Amino acid sequence: MEASSSTPEFDYLFKLLLIGDSGVGKSSLLLSFTSDAFEDLSPTIGVDFKVKHVTLGGKKLKLAIWDTAGQERFRTLTSSYYRGAQGIIMVYDVTRRDTFTNLSDIWAKEIDLYSTNQDCIKMLVGNKVDKESDRVVSKKEGIDFAREYGCLFIECSAKTRVNVEQCFEELVLKILDTPSLLAEGSAGVRKNIFKQKPPETDASTSGCC
Amino acid sequence: MDSKIGNFFESVGHFFSGGDQIPWCDSDIVTGCEREVAEAGKGSSDELKSECIMRLSWALVHSKRPEDVQRGIAMLEASLGGSNSPMQMREKIYLLAVGYYRSGDYARSRQLVERCLEIEPQWRQALTLRKTIEDKITKDGVIGIGIAATAVTAVGLLAGGIVAALSRKK
Repeated sequence: MEASSSTPEFDYLFKLLLIGDSGVGKSSLLLSFTSDAFEDLSPTIGVDFKVKHVTLGGKKLKLAIWDTAGQERFRTLTSSYYRGAQGIIMVYDVTRRDTFTNLSDIWAKEIDLYSTNQDCIKMLVGNKVDKESDRVVSKKEGIDFAREYGCLFIECSAKTRVNVEQCFEELVLKILDTPSLLAEGSAGVRKNIFKQKPPETDASTSGCC
Repeated sequence: MDSKIGNFFESVGHFFSGGDQIPWCDSDIVTGCEREVAEAGKGSSDELKSECIMRLSWALVHSKRPEDVQRGIAMLEASLGGSNSPMQMREKIYLLAVGYYRSGDYARSRQLVERCLEIEPQWRQALTLRKTIEDKITKDGVIGIGIAATAVTAVGLLAGGIVAALSRKK
């Protein structure tokens, strides 16, 4: 967020991706997590991203969280941003049944088609639980879906911030538990030739005399 | 030593690239959008065509290649005059603002982003872009001062050197 010119220190960099129908609250969820703000938002144009630094499991992490437009007209564009993601968050609105059924009809298929990462962690998120009286998708249905598709599951509200941090935390902890994803996100791999200095060798320490 | 130089370049690179929050678009995505536009040319509906063109302009102004950004700006400028719904219009203005930002025309970019925010004051992508432009202008100002300061110092040193040399001669 802040315009610091110093190089941020982190152990791992992870790419997370938010997908789901238009209006389910992907951007609100992201904003609620990264800046404590929640507003009624205009639809996302194309893709957008935010960076958040967190410390989890004793590791300093840089999270690049990509937010995609839910509108169908952007789909061929947004699908290009699945590659390289270590975590994908599928969001639906618990007060709109169609956003839930589209998960299996559209979004799970999109992941199969475009995700380049075999071990990528998927997470199902039912948003807008603050509107409990309008709820049409039960928690049980969410749990069943998650079990069938092998994803993590949580219900949250971007508006009241209930479970928002937990959502990202659970996902990231699972990524930290997956060696292949850890290797990809490791700072050494990302920070390329410049940063990575080999450990002092015997030759250089015992070089003189 | 190597790592020091590396760190230096990295921080300078980060300083100049700004680590901004506007996404980049790889050239293969641009190519993909171009293919879509070409395919849509073959007897698709106008709506489908304009959607393809919309995606291509998005990809172009977010591209890492300056020539793509220029092409995106030209496409958007050309299509602004046509019949647009208010929604299409504001999307195009926003994308133009991104294009001008990436091509370094911060004044023009800021003007456009202000127009976006007049239409929709809480539009977060436009707000992010405005913040990014402002940060950039501030940084460039700082760099400008830095260059000026360096020049002054150099002149000072040179003058000092001459004075010293002259006084030694005496």
